[in-house]
Amino acid sequence: MNMPFAHHRPTDLSAKGLLKSMDRAGIRRALTWHISQRDIFPVTGNRLVDKAVRGHEKRLVPCWTILPPDSGELGDLDDFFRRAGRAGVRAFRAFPDINRYLLRYDVMGELLDRMVAARVPLILAVPGHTNWESVYDLLAAVPDLVMIITNMGAWGCDRQFRPLVRRYPNVYIETSGYITDGGIEAFVETYGAERMVFGSNYPEAYHGATMLAIAHSTIRPDEKQAIAGGNLERILGEVRL
Amino acid sequence: MINRTSKLAAEFWKHGKTRSCPVIDMHGHMGPFRGIYFPRASTADMVKTLDECGVRMLVFCHHEALFCPEIGNTTAIEAVRKYPKHLRAYLGLLPHHPEQIARDLATYDKYRDVYVGLKFLAGYFQIPWDAKVWECAWQFANERKLIVLGHTWGGSQHDGPGQVRKAAEKYPDIKLLCGHSMFGAWDEAVAVARDLPNVYLELTALLSYRGPLEKFVDAGLVDRILFGTDLPWFDPHQGIGAVLSADITDEDRHKILHRNAEKLLKGVGVRISHQ
Repeated sequence: MNMPFAHHRPTDLSAKGLLKSMDRAGIRRALTWHISQRDIFPVTGNRLVDKAVRGHEKRLVPCWTILPPDSGELGDLDDFFRRAGRAGVRAFRAFPDINRYLLRYDVMGELLDRMVAARVPLILAVPGHTNWESVYDLLAAVPDLVMIITNMGAWGCDRQFRPLVRRYPNVYIETSGYITDGGIEAFVETYGAERMVFGSNYPEAYHGATMLAIAHSTIRPDEKQAIAGGNLERILGEVRL
Repeated sequence: MINRTSKLAAEFWKHGKTRSCPVIDMHGHMGPFRGIYFPRASTADMVKTLDECGVRMLVFCHHEALFCPEIGNTTAIEAVRKYPKHLRAYLGLLPHHPEQIARDLATYDKYRDVYVGLKFLAGYFQIPWDAKVWECAWQFANERKLIVLGHTWGGSQHDGPGQVRKAAEKYPDIKLLCGHSMFGAWDEAVAVARDLPNVYLELTALLSYRGPLEKFVDAGLVDRILFGTDLPWFDPHQGIGAVLSADITDEDRHKILHRNAEKLLKGVGVRISHQ
């Protein structure tokens, strides 16, 4: 549902357009966010993603974007979490670079504590929207945070993310930016398939690219199933909003 | 499933590869590299990947040939001679070592079973394609009608669209493969390729994005698009999955995944077995 800045092909970016593309590729369900959450203003984008997925909740699960509580833009935090739960939100995203704040405990603590209690995953594009050092500091301060690291880019980031996966059991790696040859197999052998989740980064990227890579990786069928959807279903099923 | 509208996608989805569409990868490397962990960088592991993904041939330039003058192209030569059905190499040139360029070109004919052409990596060294140090190599390739793979990037003064245009005009007998298709400068890439029939657009790294591939096909350039992965960098199945997902026809996919490369390789004496 997010419109990329560049590269993209003219695309129907409505929920119906997204579902059509998911049907073409054979994708049943997707965690989605709205580009306005990043490019306009998180609260506006949160409202827009709710509106966009309305009527398609079985297949499109919304993510909301967070901001530092001190500015008051998210409103009362208990109310924010209640509203998120009512909207069917099952994950939060953060864009600390674009929204110009520090993603660390002394800035975001009140919110992060609630996320840990509710087991809501934080989806973070690294190094796209923050740097590795910040992620290390954040997890050192909030080790029980559920975090899904996405969009890692073409230069494989194993040397950066592997220590995090080893140390923090709630850290997961998403596949859309993880395209190193043999990477899926090496990761699964070391950390297990349960620590990796499929993501496409559509519409910026093709649905089928990492789908084919996972389907024909040399791991067991049950491990492929876990990465393709089982792990994310489990993570989202544990959310208590 | 990937793409319900493509017969070829259904074949790849089911089997991971298909005899009806062998894949030729025209942009590879080999061996470990400083800034990235590769689980499968050895020659044997790379050949295993090629077999798993239905890649019939990989044309590569070893990282050592591009960054390590002490070793140069030696490992690449050994690799091709060990796996001649799977591998061919580009002779890698080191612009900071002109004496080595001269030596390598002088011995090129000794390795006609190994090389299909030359590889230029200008941007990494910030030495533009029209610098004097490259000149003997351009002339050498032009005289012999070789394939030249150059790393190209949008906005680069060293290997961007301006340099591509200049080189392709000056050396019309070279088959000039633009690695990464002048990444990001998609409109300029189309313009250069339309104007100059010896310019080819190679897909490494583009396939992580929707759009550029369809743009090239829509521009009528499907006969000059080549598949590549930077192997051992990128999983060939990721790239193949992107080509299968794109809004193009299966006929286009055949050209991109193997037919265009087969024609080019035939021109330098390499025939791809379909068995």
